[in-house]
Amino acid sequence: MRKHLLALGAVLALSPCLMAQKIGVINSMSGPEAPIGEHITNGIKLAEEDLKKKGINLQLVWEDDTGKPQISMSAMEKLATRDNVVGVVGPYTSACSNAVAKLAEKYRVPLLIPAAAKEEITRQGLKYVFRMNAPADKYASSLIDAAAALGKPKSIAFIYENTDFGTSTSKTAKEYVAKKGMQVVADEPYPKGAADYRSTLAKVKSKNPDLVFMVSYVADAILLMRQSKEVGLQPQAFLGAGAGFTTPEFAKERAISENVISCTQWTGDVNWPGAKEFEARFKAKFGKEPTYHAACAYASMMIMAETARNAGGDRTKTQQGLKAGKWNGVMGEVQFADYEGFTNQNNHQMLVQQIINGNYETVLPAKFATKKPIFPFPKWK
Amino acid sequence: MNKRMLKAAIGLIVLAGLLVVPRFVESPYALHMMILLFLSVSQGQSWNILGGYAGQYSVGHAAYFGVGAYTTMMLMYSKQVAPWVGVWAGVAAVIAVALVIGSICFRLRGPYFVLASIAVAEIMRLSAINLTTLTNGAEGILVTEIPAFKIGERVVTDFLTKVPFYYIGLFLALLTLAIAYWVQHSKLGYYFQAIREDQDAAHSLGIHISVYKNIGLVISAVLTSLAGSFYGIYVGFVDPPTVLGLDVSVQIMLICIIGGMGTIWGPVLGSLLLVPLSEALRSNMITEGLVKIGLVSADSKVGLFLKENLAHAHVLIYGILVVLVILFMPDGLMGFVKKLASRRKREAA
Amino acid sequence: MAVFLQSLISGVLIGGVYALIGIGLTLIFGVMRVINFAHGDIMMVGMYLTYLLFTLMGVDPFVSVLISFPLMFFFGGFLQKVFINRVLNAVAQNQILLTIGLGLVMSNTVMLIFTSDYKILTTSYSSSTIQVGGGVSISTPLLVSFLITAVITAALGWFLLKTDTGQAIRATAQDRDAAQLMGINVSRMSVIAFGLGAALAGTAGALISPTYYIFPQVGGTFTLKAFVITVLGGMGSVVGATLGGILIGITESMSAVYISSGWKDVVVFVLFLLVLLFKPSGLMGKSRT
Repeated sequence: MRKHLLALGAVLALSPCLMAQKIGVINSMSGPEAPIGEHITNGIKLAEEDLKKKGINLQLVWEDDTGKPQISMSAMEKLATRDNVVGVVGPYTSACSNAVAKLAEKYRVPLLIPAAAKEEITRQGLKYVFRMNAPADKYASSLIDAAAALGKPKSIAFIYENTDFGTSTSKTAKEYVAKKGMQVVADEPYPKGAADYRSTLAKVKSKNPDLVFMVSYVADAILLMRQSKEVGLQPQAFLGAGAGFTTPEFAKERAISENVISCTQWTGDVNWPGAKEFEARFKAKFGKEPTYHAACAYASMMIMAETARNAGGDRTKTQQGLKAGKWNGVMGEVQFADYEGFTNQNNHQMLVQQIINGNYETVLPAKFATKKPIFPFPKWK
Repeated sequence: MNKRMLKAAIGLIVLAGLLVVPRFVESPYALHMMILLFLSVSQGQSWNILGGYAGQYSVGHAAYFGVGAYTTMMLMYSKQVAPWVGVWAGVAAVIAVALVIGSICFRLRGPYFVLASIAVAEIMRLSAINLTTLTNGAEGILVTEIPAFKIGERVVTDFLTKVPFYYIGLFLALLTLAIAYWVQHSKLGYYFQAIREDQDAAHSLGIHISVYKNIGLVISAVLTSLAGSFYGIYVGFVDPPTVLGLDVSVQIMLICIIGGMGTIWGPVLGSLLLVPLSEALRSNMITEGLVKIGLVSADSKVGLFLKENLAHAHVLIYGILVVLVILFMPDGLMGFVKKLASRRKREAA
Repeated sequence: MAVFLQSLISGVLIGGVYALIGIGLTLIFGVMRVINFAHGDIMMVGMYLTYLLFTLMGVDPFVSVLISFPLMFFFGGFLQKVFINRVLNAVAQNQILLTIGLGLVMSNTVMLIFTSDYKILTTSYSSSTIQVGGGVSISTPLLVSFLITAVITAALGWFLLKTDTGQAIRATAQDRDAAQLMGINVSRMSVIAFGLGAALAGTAGALISPTYYIFPQVGGTFTLKAFVITVLGGMGSVVGATLGGILIGITESMSAVYISSGWKDVVVFVLFLLVLLFKPSGLMGKSRT
């Protein structure tokens, strides 16, 4: 069947009267989520370039959801019924993805979500909804497994932004440490963008935790680490989940970011095919380093466009193509599988990294590791 | 035919047209836009009753919108309560909330009332984030399956298409419109306007100010809560920023103020302007349109620039529009229309 | 005890910056009776100004106050003259919407120019501290900004009390019509007051940037904080806003420790409502009814 489809795709690709593949993009291009949205936009732009080189004629329909679920629904309605796209890549946030997923199922439009973290999205048995990135629970398990492998931590403190991503990640993390027999000594959600975390951190310090687990999406990560240093919070390891701990800006703050362990969906130095080139090209074109969102978005668009082409622009066949396909690219091996209650979820390998000499070095899993981890966290200078 | 009959006839024709729209329009996208329009009309009109007629400028209507949406969704999510039952629980909750808020905020006047209304809405939003066992916190509540609505054994609707939502939305918009009409033409409306124009004078006329303010608030809050429940059920997802955020409150009052406060058609006009405009800006339809009519070529520098930036700039354009309307049409679109009409009349005379 | 002291100190220091934002708002409200919903966005503009001066010309954020203060003053004066002035006699909701609209224009223009990236100003002293013993530390940049705030507040107090213009501003705030009758150029005082308000907000932005971060939507939270501070201190009262700012700083910091960091903003808003209910004129304000 698959061969058949490929052959069909090849025939169609050769026919000169072939229409451009119309693919929708829903993304948070303005509004509070725009900083990350921009990375997704840029990742997709790079994919568009590469697809053109491969001879895939692509017509992208861009939709801004401004980070609001009802607007992302408008976008999906428009893409599915007015623009008649073959498939959709996006949206970025979990809230929007949730709202859009059921519409995708209703209109039978293949939806490939590049970077939304909420587990439930791919746990509803929706056949047309696919997800590239690993959901939130993976952050918790990879980081805590890493810490447990390095030392014998007995207590852990949680500090996380009180957003969807922050709460759901630390919720699964709390369940996970309970199984591992660790004690939660502090549980501190904070409002994103507060100027002063010193009092919270002083309180955490007084509990003397072995591990400090933080979830921050943005620049709060830098503030939290700066102020941890100020108040002299000194655990065996700082574990950072979320994009805030994996940005180049964070690594540049060497006085406070050195030796912080974080986990991410993707890094520029991992030996997945094309990852290094992707990083270099992204930097050259957009003047900044790509986050994992950019890589997820790039890979999602590549896969969606190729599958749509091979399916001859047919939605059902594209869905079948996504379900059956297997890829290997900047995101490593990708396959949309059904497991542990998930449907069409790429069981993505998370990378645990540590900042060593100002660079992100992959330290776990061993087969992707570039450096040996440093443990415990050295005394603050 | 006199003028009144003409107006009634036009109204009936528009209404009949709206009722048959789903028969002829199959595009779910078009229906979706209509639903958003109805939602916006009912939001704006609900605010109008308190803000426009009674002159109490609440910048915290998200509290009622959110409590309505949350109550319905929470009951559906954790207790499998059908939404058409849950809505009334939402209304009850909102009445309680409104009376508490009223007892606090109505002691204050002018800017103090505005600030208090914001504070209360923010407290509701933060509580929704922190009371995780009740509201599921920042993760929000997702309900994808709405039970079919049955009378006896007969399935009236299974909520699988947009059509039932279209009619519910239309009903809601008409309901708020009818109530606004009733308020404007009843004794209540005169009391409201007296309070708006001069609170002390109204008091000396023997109008029990705090009672009438609270009546206005409750009517307004209940209608806003219905709109909130409708939003929750339609979108299938609520979380604190999308139904309780400050920008929800601002959006609600914007519809009414841009359209024209204290008028029946103001919120309708405001919605007719804002809903299509923000959709057109957001989805780059304006650039597409300019390309289509040949004003700009798609590959020209201008075309590319617009394509690249217009979608990003839509909130900016929105902001500019707000500033311009306030500066040049301080009474909103409705005031502007009225001014034009009276000028024409004068010229004719 | 260390936790208590640490929270108290950082609460007071961060409160100093809050105070500066609050003073700006209270001046504007006092003179014009306009609630400025764009106040946080004006502060954001000040932050980007500091950012530009730092990255392009290497001007230290604390030194940049000398440049950004006058620039922001003119910016504020311009806003007042072109926009706010036209709605001074309009209904309150139009004033509110106008400032909301102006705020949207500011934040989205900045977003188009700088993108929505988070900008971090890293100075050599961004994470340096002074150890005071007992495990308690003070952030050096925060201490410096607190001292600068104190100097500016004192200078402002002197200006309002001792100079002719300052007295004219206070007279306008007390009774606009009477001031006009006394021959005070009320509209000029409004421009100056708005300019000062904007300059103070911009300065607060500059002072907080070495320890904070910058993005186009940063204004919203600070606008709300400024409202709370202003009401707490009594609308129009400079001393009140100063105390209000510090009080809010301490409240936030203490409730984060002794209640929970998730609820700390609720505590602040509840305090705000209580003040509105039981002492609507604020801590330092005189009743105006």
